[in-house]
Amino acid sequence: MMLREKYQNEIDEILKHYPVRRSAMLPLLNLAQKEEGYISEQAMKEIAAILKLTPPQVYEVVTFYTMLSLKPRGTFHFQVCKSLMCALVGSDDLVEWLKTRLSIKPGETSSDRQFTLSQVECLGSCATGPMMQVNDDYYDRLTEDKVDRILTDLKRDGTCPLKAKAFMCPQAEQKG
Amino acid sequence: MHEVTTETINLTIDGIAVTVPKGTLVIEAARRVGVMIPHFCYHPKLTPDANCRMCLVEIEKMPRLQTSCSTPVSEGMVVRTATSVVNESHKSVLEFILANHPLDCPVCDQGGRCDLQDYSHEYTPTTSRFIEIKRIFKKEYFSPLIETQMNRCVQCLRCVRYCDQVMDVNALAPSGRGTMTEIKHFGDHELDCEFCGGCVQICPVGAITSRLSMYEFRPWMLKRADTICTYCGDGCQITIQAKENELIEVNSAHGAGRNTGDLCARGFFGYQMSTHPHRLTSPMIRRHGELVAVPWEEALEYLAEACVKLKLAHGAQAFAGLASSRCTNEDLYLFQKFMRLAIGSNKIDSSARYGHINAVRALRRVQGTHRWAATFEDIVRAGALLLVGTNITETNPITGLKVKEAIKKHGATLVTVESLEPAVGKLSNIANLSTHHFSAFPGTYPDVVLGLIKAVIEGGHLNADLAARAPAYVQALRDRVGALTWSAIESSTGASESALKEAAQAFAQAPTAVIILGQGVLRTPGAEGVTTNLLDLLILTGHHGRSGCGIAPLAEENNDQGAIEMGVAAEFLPGPYDITDAAARERLAGVWKDEVPPSSGLTLMDMVDEARLGKLKGMFVMGENPVASLPASTGVTEALQRLDLLVCQELFLTETAKLAHVVLPASSYAEKDGTFTNSEGHVQQVRRAIDPVGDSRPDWEILSALSSLMGYPLEYGDAREIFKEIRSTIPGYRLMGPAPQPPRPDGQVVDRYLQEGYAKDLATRYRLSSSPSVGSDHLTLRLVQTLFHSGKLSTYAKGLLAVQDKGCLAMNPADADQREIAAGQMVIVRNGQGEFRTQATILERVPRGLVCFPEHFAAEVRPLLSAVVDPVTRSPYFLSTEVQVAKLD
Amino acid sequence: MAKYEKILLANMEQPGYTGSLADYERAGGYQALKKILGKVQPNEVTETVKKSGLRGRGGAGFPTGVKWGFLPKDYRGPIYLCCNADESEPGTFKDRQLMERDPHQMIEGCLIACYAIRAETCYVYIRGEYTLATTILEKALTEARRAGYVGQNVLGSGVNIEVWMHRGAGAYICGEETALLESLEGKRGLPRFKPPFPAVVGLYQKPTVVNNVETLANLPHIINKGPEWFASIGSPPKSTGTRIFCLSGHVKQPGNYEVPMGITLRELIFEHGGGMRSQKPLKAIIPGGASAPFLTPDHLDVKLDFEAVAQAGSMLGSGGVTVMEEGTSMVWAATRLMEFFYHESCGKCSPCREGSAWLVQTMRRILAKRGRADDLDTLTDLCKNIAGRTVCAFGDAEVAPIMSTLQYWRHEYEELIEQAEAANLVQIEMAGAKQ
Repeated sequence: MMLREKYQNEIDEILKHYPVRRSAMLPLLNLAQKEEGYISEQAMKEIAAILKLTPPQVYEVVTFYTMLSLKPRGTFHFQVCKSLMCALVGSDDLVEWLKTRLSIKPGETSSDRQFTLSQVECLGSCATGPMMQVNDDYYDRLTEDKVDRILTDLKRDGTCPLKAKAFMCPQAEQKG
Repeated sequence: MHEVTTETINLTIDGIAVTVPKGTLVIEAARRVGVMIPHFCYHPKLTPDANCRMCLVEIEKMPRLQTSCSTPVSEGMVVRTATSVVNESHKSVLEFILANHPLDCPVCDQGGRCDLQDYSHEYTPTTSRFIEIKRIFKKEYFSPLIETQMNRCVQCLRCVRYCDQVMDVNALAPSGRGTMTEIKHFGDHELDCEFCGGCVQICPVGAITSRLSMYEFRPWMLKRADTICTYCGDGCQITIQAKENELIEVNSAHGAGRNTGDLCARGFFGYQMSTHPHRLTSPMIRRHGELVAVPWEEALEYLAEACVKLKLAHGAQAFAGLASSRCTNEDLYLFQKFMRLAIGSNKIDSSARYGHINAVRALRRVQGTHRWAATFEDIVRAGALLLVGTNITETNPITGLKVKEAIKKHGATLVTVESLEPAVGKLSNIANLSTHHFSAFPGTYPDVVLGLIKAVIEGGHLNADLAARAPAYVQALRDRVGALTWSAIESSTGASESALKEAAQAFAQAPTAVIILGQGVLRTPGAEGVTTNLLDLLILTGHHGRSGCGIAPLAEENNDQGAIEMGVAAEFLPGPYDITDAAARERLAGVWKDEVPPSSGLTLMDMVDEARLGKLKGMFVMGENPVASLPASTGVTEALQRLDLLVCQELFLTETAKLAHVVLPASSYAEKDGTFTNSEGHVQQVRRAIDPVGDSRPDWEILSALSSLMGYPLEYGDAREIFKEIRSTIPGYRLMGPAPQPPRPDGQVVDRYLQEGYAKDLATRYRLSSSPSVGSDHLTLRLVQTLFHSGKLSTYAKGLLAVQDKGCLAMNPADADQREIAAGQMVIVRNGQGEFRTQATILERVPRGLVCFPEHFAAEVRPLLSAVVDPVTRSPYFLSTEVQVAKLD
Repeated sequence: MAKYEKILLANMEQPGYTGSLADYERAGGYQALKKILGKVQPNEVTETVKKSGLRGRGGAGFPTGVKWGFLPKDYRGPIYLCCNADESEPGTFKDRQLMERDPHQMIEGCLIACYAIRAETCYVYIRGEYTLATTILEKALTEARRAGYVGQNVLGSGVNIEVWMHRGAGAYICGEETALLESLEGKRGLPRFKPPFPAVVGLYQKPTVVNNVETLANLPHIINKGPEWFASIGSPPKSTGTRIFCLSGHVKQPGNYEVPMGITLRELIFEHGGGMRSQKPLKAIIPGGASAPFLTPDHLDVKLDFEAVAQAGSMLGSGGVTVMEEGTSMVWAATRLMEFFYHESCGKCSPCREGSAWLVQTMRRILAKRGRADDLDTLTDLCKNIAGRTVCAFGDAEVAPIMSTLQYWRHEYEELIEQAEAANLVQIEMAGAKQ
């Protein structure tokens, strides 16, 4: 039982937050996804056991939420917002740029398992589009140059300083 | 589910005034006045979900159309279901539902009885405006018994909700979302569940169907027969559907029978044993050591002559008869009458001897009834339920559903005493719903019961009136439980004083209580005593005799109760009345126009003994198979081999029939008329669905024909004529109704018990069982009944074999770890008497120290077992033994 | 440009404000909680909120105090507060800023609401993608717990209020309050039918209030400055207080603008947002998030309050104002939004489940110049047949873009259909709901 071995304290803490065990479903699934990069069958069985549910009861939840994946994804998951607000400011071009840069289409993972490209719906960054989320981080006001820099940094350092900080738009300083 | 009270509400539906109980849903109120509102997702068994939107209606003063399935009625409500707006909404919703439907009705088994077809016929134009690409799901193999065709699915989730709310199995997952939502099990795994067939039955379209009859019929080709399932004492009403003489499917209409339309795997998928290719189709007699087929005339003449000769030579007392409780009341009644009159022997017994008779004896002793004083409805409405020694999900699944309903819908308190750990698995587990669970070893259930009684007496939960009514009884019990220490109880059972006290309090304080007990008690030493103690528990808490309360022993075979009531028992005449009861004999003689033989009866194990000693010469066995049922160490095979005449009326050439001199092919329940009496004491009609297979004949007919040839004609035109005679001799058979009034405990008998009856075996009953001291590497092997096999015939049912065709040794993960055994590995199980090899399966619900093996696949286990014969009731107990288990390299 | 007093964004616009507990306290934070805790009866707090006229900022605009008032009286069991931080309405990004920049303001709001409704537990249901906001809130909660604002016996008052973060995992529908509760219970986020409303049967079948982040963030200010002060701001009596409008699309300065309710669209777009980003004139406006029907330049003088926008045929919704310039294809825009709704339809109700798949395919087909003459009638019919026939408001929302663009820009549809080639069906990729 992998999760329990590694995260017993976290799991105990999570369970303490709820009077009904089943509520720990998404917290545990998020934990499993963080741990393995996707939700494995083993993880679903283990979470079912922790929550005293059947594996199908966990499975049906996993398939409902888009952030949870039943398949492994690349090290960097590029999720480009394709909703109208970002599309108005060029997100389709951004996707094209990423397609050529990563040599994969949306929904695909690069053969070296470095990158997965997805088109997703609104991520709440409409004033700063086009934007994308790479794993946990937001990158906004994207241009082709900025994307290239992000790619270079990620490949080299695994992270990039261009990621969005605590959000404020417009910046107070710019005003008035 | 909305609670329905006695308060009523007046409303108008399409101009018709109607008064319904408060809490009624509009859709149900409409049904009462004959207004059928179309729907897919609504089902009376399920909580409303309002997802299909088909049942929209206009309700005055409400802003938009309302779903009638989720709206409770209110005073003065005005509902319109037939306005143009409503009509248009039905059309539009149906247009959406049909948009992605494949319209593959010609190859759909639901075609002809499909809600979607019917509503389409009613509401949609012949052309569709949908010109886009239809949603298509990848076709996946789903399971050996259940087929899914997700393109047909209307996403009403009735199957999912049934699996959860009614079955508590949770095997179906609606996966994905939006229009791509499909019903799956767990990822790409094939379905592994209880296979109750509920999803098939409740699916309004052809999305979930049975594989057993796939593509073999159109519904209008089928001939229906409403009859009763033959697999256990629950007595579920089933509808067998046959095409010509072929069994196509079984289902149960919503609300039908004591099961209200619910079935288990055995009922839904177990029907094909009747047409199994190995069915005996011709009589056989043994010639030169071989069984050879002969015509009926020849077989019966041979048999009649042999009987007469044997009787002349050795007298009637050299004959005994053993019958199976799977037979109809008519078969059983005639069997004992044949044995008693045509042969002249009272040496008869039935498979009820294995356990059920223990309960009936205790009931007669304490309350003067032989039936439950409670009904299924009382279980559903009980405040508290105590389950002792019954893994009810697997033994009596439909009674189990009543328990689940009581808890899940009505919030009953459940106390369970059973060797089950509360663990979620592929089968539902009643311990998971239990509020007070005692995971005790089979042999220590009686000690938990004693603990509960002690907690009641010492915890001040004694019924106030009882002390005045029966002070000596109360004092005697108080003394007895006073002598038992909490620590002794805890060391025997593992149950703590506080846990027992809490459970006792919950049980005692509930407004009504029903105790349900099963094989774990009834087929274990001391069975009659424990049942008596449980009756003490009811008496002490004041529940005994109260309406809605009672004790409910579960019958293992479908007609155990009937067999005893028909008098197929060593100690009973039809009634049952004691065989020594002069008045009963006299009454019977009046009907039979002949005297009941004065001799005494003989129980199963004593028959084996007498046969071994050569005292028995001839034996009639009707549907029983003692050679396979009893442990080898009882010497049953050798004993039967000593008989001069062994006659078997059978469906199959069983281990016992193979020893017989005459084998007569009998018809299964599907091929004959008659009645069964279920656990609850409900007498129900068995109806013929197909013609007898081969030359087989109903058991009663065989006996009737034989009796004539023997010069003692017991002639009846049909089963109904026998039933008429049963009605005139046996109380409780006069009224056959949808909901029988259960008998009330006989006050005089109860008084007699409380004054003095209780005392005779008090010391024996109120003693803790001596727990066996075994080495730490020993495990207790217990033969158990599994969900997929019960009775004598399930191992011939194709559908059931598809989910379970062999036995595996179920063990606790820790016990397996200790022996380095992994799931699926071969193990060797041994004790001083023998050994066998099998596969291990690891289940968290099996408690530590216990290993379980299914009784229906236990041929190789038999050498390891010994039978203990009950000194009083003569029941043979052989389900448990001590073994060592090791990994097989 | 007119300057307005800011309520919610005031702290964070101070130079150097980090959103830490110290900063928040320095700005007067947690004074409101201290003012009421053990000193003002919970029902009086509810009365105060009722008096302020505060309405929900999540989308539906239901009066907050009235919602609290639906909780059963004299009920003794547990009551829950859920802070709806599942901000997912396309065009909306105000809660993200409120949480990331001034987390304690929202937390204090949660505490005040809990006190008022006698809830001892508040779950902050935050959309899973908002990892930074989650981290910031977790940190803030740790600070607040340490300072005694959150937990057992808050500030020695004897009142217990636990606040727990609960992350979603990617499902727009979980912003619908009953779907949120289902999700919080560990199930698929399918909305429940109502009645019963959450105030009576909510989380774990217990009375529950679900309030949006911005709604809750207003509470400390209402307590501190009084309901009359709040009710005087904006467009009383029905639309009081400020509103954070999330301006996006083809404007010069997109972003969050907190202004009193009742300023006009023109003022918001052309004064605060700096006008259009290029020479192209304004063509269309979505005034309240993706679920709100489109408006035209003719509506520029519509006041941004609940009633006026509704009167104009749209809704104030979540406050997401998206501006589109001339040259933007309205069929394309509506299709893009329809794709969103198709992707996010939970699948519970037949009309929405099947209708969204149908609509999205027809829209794509028209856009791909494969439309047919009768498509527009069918679209109109389908939209009418979805709206009002589903468990939740999603069904009404998903038809808004098509219905409104058909209303104002029908000719764009017709032109595309006229250009259509022979009416052979286009293979439309039916991507699964999950990618």
